[in-house]
Amino acid sequence: MGKKTCWGIIFVTIAINVVMLQWTVEAWLGREYEITLVYSGVAVVSAFIAFFTLLQWRKLEYKTGTEKKPDASGQSGETDQAV
Amino acid sequence: MSNDCPKERGRHGKKSKSDMVNLTGNIEQKDDMTLNRRAFLKTAAGASMALGLATVPFSLRAMVGLAEDDTEHVEIVQLDQLPRGESVTFNYPTENDPSILVHTNDGELVAYNSACTHLMCPVFYEKESETLLCPCHKGYFDLKSGHPIAGPPQRELPLIEVEVINGTVYATGRQYRHG
Ligand code: FES
Repeated sequence: MGKKTCWGIIFVTIAINVVMLQWTVEAWLGREYEITLVYSGVAVVSAFIAFFTLLQWRKLEYKTGTEKKPDASGQSGETDQAV
Repeated sequence: MSNDCPKERGRHGKKSKSDMVNLTGNIEQKDDMTLNRRAFLKTAAGASMALGLATVPFSLRAMVGLAEDDTEHVEIVQLDQLPRGESVTFNYPTENDPSILVHTNDGELVAYNSACTHLMCPVFYEKESETLLCPCHKGYFDLKSGHPIAGPPQRELPLIEVEVINGTVYATGRQYRHG
């Protein structure tokens, strides 16, 4: 899984969690408790996915310390090093 | 200075020999280190987790709520004391749930919890227009269905099921999502 994919997954989980939070509150206010549990379960799973994707991204991001690959803007790629 | 912070002397520090750092000396380097794409992604992931976990209290409350049940016959009023076009207030299912029973101009009986679904102001019956009105922010609800028709409220009023037994109106149950 590449770094770009990680970015994508994290943003998708944000979108899912915003919607799930909204739906959970709605279902809770409507006393539809079974549905509340379902939405909330999805949101928690999605939060875990975001967490593990972040760990994966960190692994990829910080292991490229010695590589220098110039990008389109002409930067040296030095900033990829661990800080 | 010999006791410089190692960071100051490092690749991004003020005394760096790196050409890139010296070329961009007019840029606030601290901001560069904290407001960057890595920090952005970490914040985004944090936000996603916070949003996801924010649903947990609701599911905990929901689990408590699953055990609850609020069906009970509660006497509201004698039907002959409530002519058409009149309304009466009562509390159902508990003393903390203000409610309104309306005898419509058509002769129907409808009852709702009367706390406005916007910010909980009491809702009133408007005889002329046959609507329920919340005066706080001009919220209007359909009398027949309890659904919001104008103003800020977004959700319908909880519907109270009523039954007439021997000329007395009873509240017998409540529905949150209806119509
Ligand atoms: S409280 Fe009823 S419209 Fe705002």
